[in-house]
Amino acid sequence: MNITLGQYYPVDSVIHRLDARAKILATIIYIIAVFCADGIAGYGLCIAFLAAVTVLCKVPFRLMLRSLKSIIFIIIFTVALNMLFIRTGTEIFSFGFIHITTGGVLTAVRLCVRLIMLITGSSILTLVTTPIALTEGIERLLRPFKKIGVPSHEIAMMMSIALRFIPTLIEELDKIKKAQMARGADFDTGGLVKRAKAMIPLLVPLFVSAFRRADELAMAMEARCYRGDINRTKMRELVYGKRDIYALGIVILLTICVILLRILL
Amino acid sequence: MNFVESRSLEFEYIKYDDETDSKMSVKALRGVDIDVKKGEFVAVLGRNGSGKSTFAKLINGLNTPSGGTLYVNGLDSSKEDNIWDIRQNVGIVFQNPDNQIIATIVEEDIAFGPENLGMEPSRIVKNVDMALKAVSMEEYRNAAPAYLSGGQKQRIAIAGILAMKPDCIILDEPTAMLDPQGRKEVMDTITMLNKDEGITIILITHYMEEAALADRIAVMNEGRIAMQGRPVEIFTRVEEMRSLHLDVPQITELAYAIHQKKPEFPKDILNIEEFIDAFKYIGCADDFSYVKENKAVKYNKPILEIKNLTHVYGMGTAFEKVAVKDIDLTVGKGDLIGLIGHTGSGKSTLIQHMNALVKADAGNVYFKGKDIFEDKAGLKFIRQKIGLVFQYPEYQIFETTIYDEVAYGPKNCGLSAEEIDIRVKDALKFVGIDESMYKKSPFDLSGGQKRRVAIAGILAMKPEILILDEPMAGLDPYGRDEILMNIKKMHDDLGITVILVSHSMEDIAAIADKIIVMNKGSVAMYDSVDNVFKEPDRLTSMGLNAPQLTLLFKRLRKEMGLDVPINVYDVDEAANILISAMN
Repeated sequence: MNITLGQYYPVDSVIHRLDARAKILATIIYIIAVFCADGIAGYGLCIAFLAAVTVLCKVPFRLMLRSLKSIIFIIIFTVALNMLFIRTGTEIFSFGFIHITTGGVLTAVRLCVRLIMLITGSSILTLVTTPIALTEGIERLLRPFKKIGVPSHEIAMMMSIALRFIPTLIEELDKIKKAQMARGADFDTGGLVKRAKAMIPLLVPLFVSAFRRADELAMAMEARCYRGDINRTKMRELVYGKRDIYALGIVILLTICVILLRILL
Repeated sequence: MNFVESRSLEFEYIKYDDETDSKMSVKALRGVDIDVKKGEFVAVLGRNGSGKSTFAKLINGLNTPSGGTLYVNGLDSSKEDNIWDIRQNVGIVFQNPDNQIIATIVEEDIAFGPENLGMEPSRIVKNVDMALKAVSMEEYRNAAPAYLSGGQKQRIAIAGILAMKPDCIILDEPTAMLDPQGRKEVMDTITMLNKDEGITIILITHYMEEAALADRIAVMNEGRIAMQGRPVEIFTRVEEMRSLHLDVPQITELAYAIHQKKPEFPKDILNIEEFIDAFKYIGCADDFSYVKENKAVKYNKPILEIKNLTHVYGMGTAFEKVAVKDIDLTVGKGDLIGLIGHTGSGKSTLIQHMNALVKADAGNVYFKGKDIFEDKAGLKFIRQKIGLVFQYPEYQIFETTIYDEVAYGPKNCGLSAEEIDIRVKDALKFVGIDESMYKKSPFDLSGGQKRRVAIAGILAMKPEILILDEPMAGLDPYGRDEILMNIKKMHDDLGITVILVSHSMEDIAAIADKIIVMNKGSVAMYDSVDNVFKEPDRLTSMGLNAPQLTLLFKRLRKEMGLDVPINVYDVDEAANILISAMN
């Protein structure tokens, strides 16, 4: 039951205290920087930045590594592909049809580092921001588009409810599955049609339950005076502080440096 | 002016009948007259479907009256303009804690109501602080609700209402899904809010002991108020309560039974303290002594053996949790065993091992001497022989007719059509579902009926061992008794070995021979009913309890030196013993 998005790590740090909007924007700008980076200096700068944020946000390093675990196959795959098919530079190893060249290794390493930087960077965003703050940040960032009909509040509310209920429904599915297995259901054998049919006893109760929950939740929300975006305030109103501006300034500076390095070197 | 004033209040809704494709209006309330004073604590009782929840939703403005009048805090609830004021004034806490928590962090959830009201952020923070303090959950401010216990979740739900600064809180069966410890937490919070904060409480419940704490009880039946009065007035009308499918607290029932034979003993008694006072007043014979031998424990031939069972969830991750550890158990053929333990004590994990739904990380389970995991192809056979009825089994219903629903299990067993037919009919007959219902949709049934159909679905597989996980949860007293008697009958008439998981010590005491007590993933006790309930303090320390009668008799022995046995669980038997002890 590992939903990486819901992996908020509750400690108090400079990074945690940043405004959700600043964190989202900074992440986007950081991603641009990573894509622009080239050469040792550019990569070095991005890695140094990532390391600094990692230390500042006080999230244990192993938690960040965990987010990498899910993409390890993609990394291995890209590395292998690049090493096998890029034939520039001098050859350093060859066996049968396999030719490994310095160019291939270099590209592979570069891609691998870039992927790791991207994933770690964006997982920091989810580690230091509560899902609610995240959705709220998205809501606020989308607000200017409300005039052209983007329902920013509704989108944010749906996202946060989905986040809240995914673990609940996964648990529910597990329970239903076990209950039907106790009635002799078999989900693992038989052909495609038989297996698809075997899903009915799982899906019908799951949907019934999801609708019941939705109904009860809607009632509970209404009972607590929810009526959409009308006259609503926030306990923690998002306010841009000085530190948010500094943070954004630093990331923008990073991007400019990376681009300059690329042009100059 | 009263806080709530309703006069011939009616509510009807339109129901669609799929079979005949017709509309039909259903009257959920047929003229409710009741007043609730400000600061009062009113308990509302009534069988399932009597209109309690509908009434609650009307007071909160979730439903609008279709007839009669309803004034809440002086506001006419039929006027659209008043709805938001009423909802702010009257909060409502629902039964299922999971379906009313909106946010993923405790404090953000509590802030949801005030935010909807458009309060100033600084005031929201103040109100959230106050609400967390009121329910004693300050240290969980930043916790994720998913990791809290049921009792804690309900306290968060109450805090979410409190933060809106309401005058009144309605609680719709807030403890139905909780264990004894969680129930106590919630009830303590409710009584504190009423006594110390002066908040008006309207509590809907199926637990008579909870209703006894109220200032006044209103009993609903078929959309009307059938009885109203102080708890002593209501609970002394034992016969009337039974006719309304309700119950009275066991201690009151006992006092009533004594009163009938010995009229000088008062019948208006609600709790153990009052009972002891009354008993002291009447006095008892000094030399009275009554010895009741403990029921001999039968050691039946083993049918299910569990050896060194250990199960760890999320092994090797940060969320690693030992669910059960080094369990050794032997279940004898023909046993009727009660399984008790606080939420999270490992009961569910343990029973899921018994029919091979979960594989042990260490240890083995043997059915009739054979390891159940030895032969993977035999798992189906094991699950057929060892039936498991999950909690809220009606949530697994999926077929279009009752007949097909019950036939699902036997079909999976690969039986012949004739055999399936016999089994389905037998099982449904056993749980009291009439043949005329077979073609109906199981989704149209009432809660209690659905549950019986779901149990029949397991019964139709002809299990030799039947494990039931809280089969009475959420039902009204009559529905509970019905299921309990069904279980007893399965054991006595069909010779099925039964393991019953329950939070009700009275129910366990009424039918079980032996009790397994789970605590923190281990078997803390496994003994006869008499021996387990002999130590109420030990049970309390594990978040459990002993039956009311045991607690009473224990106090009588201690405080009055009266030599009465403590292994009495039946009200009539207890009454006879106490009558003979009296002067």
